[in-house]
Amino acid sequence: MSEEEIIGKLCEAVVACDMNAVVKAAKEAIEKGVDPVKAIENGLSKGARIIGDKFERLEIFLPELLIAADAMKAGLDLLLAKIPKDKTLKKGTVVCGTVKGDIHEIGKKIVAALLRANGFEVYDLGADVPTSKFIEEAGKVGADIIGLSALMSSTLAAQKDVIDYLKAVGERERYIVMVGGGPTTQEWASQIGADGYATTAPEAVKLALKMTKKMRR
Amino acid sequence: MVTFLEVMEKALSGKPCSERDYTLKIFAAKLKEIVKEHDIEYNPDVLVPSDNGLADDIFNAAFDFFVEVGGYCKDTERIIKFEEDEVKQGLRTAPSKVVFGDGQDSRTLIPRKPEDKSPPWCFLGAGGGPVSSEETFLSLVEGYASIPEANSITTPALTSVNGLRIRPRSPLEALGAIRNAVLAREAMKRAGRPGLPIMNTLATAESATSLAIALHPKHGLRTTDGYMIAIMDPMVVDFDRFNKVFAVLSLNAPVGACFDPLMGGYSGGPEGTAVANVAYHFLATLVYQASWHLPFPLHIKYVCSSTPELLWVISTSGQAISRNTHLLSLNLNYTAAGPLTKMCLYETAASVMAAVVSGLSIEALGVATNKYEDRMTPMEPKFSAEVAHAVAGMKRKEANQIVKDLLAKYMDKIADPPLGKKYQECFDIKSGKPSDKYVEIYSKVKEELKDLGVKFQH
Repeated sequence: MSEEEIIGKLCEAVVACDMNAVVKAAKEAIEKGVDPVKAIENGLSKGARIIGDKFERLEIFLPELLIAADAMKAGLDLLLAKIPKDKTLKKGTVVCGTVKGDIHEIGKKIVAALLRANGFEVYDLGADVPTSKFIEEAGKVGADIIGLSALMSSTLAAQKDVIDYLKAVGERERYIVMVGGGPTTQEWASQIGADGYATTAPEAVKLALKMTKKMRR
Repeated sequence: MVTFLEVMEKALSGKPCSERDYTLKIFAAKLKEIVKEHDIEYNPDVLVPSDNGLADDIFNAAFDFFVEVGGYCKDTERIIKFEEDEVKQGLRTAPSKVVFGDGQDSRTLIPRKPEDKSPPWCFLGAGGGPVSSEETFLSLVEGYASIPEANSITTPALTSVNGLRIRPRSPLEALGAIRNAVLAREAMKRAGRPGLPIMNTLATAESATSLAIALHPKHGLRTTDGYMIAIMDPMVVDFDRFNKVFAVLSLNAPVGACFDPLMGGYSGGPEGTAVANVAYHFLATLVYQASWHLPFPLHIKYVCSSTPELLWVISTSGQAISRNTHLLSLNLNYTAAGPLTKMCLYETAASVMAAVVSGLSIEALGVATNKYEDRMTPMEPKFSAEVAHAVAGMKRKEANQIVKDLLAKYMDKIADPPLGKKYQECFDIKSGKPSDKYVEIYSKVKEELKDLGVKFQH
């Protein structure tokens, strides 16, 4: 099987949401000496972008998106191990979660899956995350972005608490803070001093790409 | 009827399962399978079907699905399952009427059937939408209570108290919840309808603790109010919500369950969402002992209930419930567009029609996806209630054509809807009167609906 065929298989397996097929193709790529960077960019990531677009058009639904994201991650773990440490492919590192007091996760899970599909390393802390946990985890993994989700108007203020806490401990400038979720608006994001806000998950990905690129300049 | 203690026992001893496995491998996978097995298909040309067989297929699919899948308890990480007989008995013994409100404002919520001539219950207001100040809250609720068709009120949610932004599970949340109750009662008194029931509990009481604190009778809540408690998507409950249920049941007050299966989410497409929407009613009846239900299926991308798929979901799941049970179910609709726009009124008219002719009552409404502060007025629920009363008794076939005609007026704008204006820009907040411009828009849309065949009572 040629390099192109193996890469094509990786892409197809992600689009088919088939974890076993992704792992099999990734192992095959490694065995056949396919350049892991090419395998990731033209195989896994391409497949993930196709899945993201399909979800955006609602040709597939949330379960398929989440399963495809898992499949991609399984392949990524195998292929990344073959790339020299000094050669980084990732677009950035994101720590995200739903703020304290709020247990709603669906929107945040979609954003996390699409960020992964677009080359970000994502640490999803789940829901009802204590304020300091975001900061502790971001420090531990060297995050570029802290993503804060809230669905209820009564839990929205916990987004402000994370930003205020960052300021209080002198770490605000270290991270890009993005906010989102049901009642969040651009007005609110500006008011609490967030760096970014997006209405939809694909917009959040675009914004994350733009802001991490700007940060690296 | 399964008791609350038996539910707790099931939550503690059910099959252990991670939430991820429940949502993806059990809920989503089984739902997809059941939809296929029952051959349920969405038809974009018939958004309000007259096909009783389709409604019954959806009901049967939901029954099979629920018995197979059950619900999920987040705290115990176990599946709460019920036997077929338990579900049947639960549906048989669920209340077929509930009396809400006091004195002259006391009314009985009864079940309806498709094409039923009886007026739907009109649960009107803000659907818990956020407001910036107590003054706005008071003025809005007074406006809602002044709508003649209002049977009960859904208040907005205060986002701050005395200038301090409310924090979840903090005393500020409890204080906000108390103030919510006190202000709502005051506003209803001002409107001359002190006995009207509040049926969205307290929009600011997200935690059980805040609800329990605000439940003290001196804050104005009554056992004749409705107490709405959420089930999370997909059919997930937790101890905090159980605590709310227990607090309300201990007062012998009516628990209402609200749930929003997302079209495009774990339920998949319109077919799965319709089936899940019905199954949620079963879960609510058994797990929360809900005596009334508040489904509000939404589009995952547009967060509204006025897309063609959602109108079909409202109608088919509504018919499934109203034809096969006596459960008391009210559909809550969200619009994409905001106040002072024709689109908002078209959208709410379409959703309300789909619900009412299918045998449901209504809660109206969440305006502009219910996310923007102060972006709601009494005009949208008033118009929704007028449409609801006008279409009671209308044939589904006729409603289908009108809904499609309405949809044609706004569908191309749904991805980028006009957000309109804030309450303060549409109404004189002191007199509670709408601006001339809003009256003009309302009158024009009403005329358009009359031309389409809607016979308004006034």
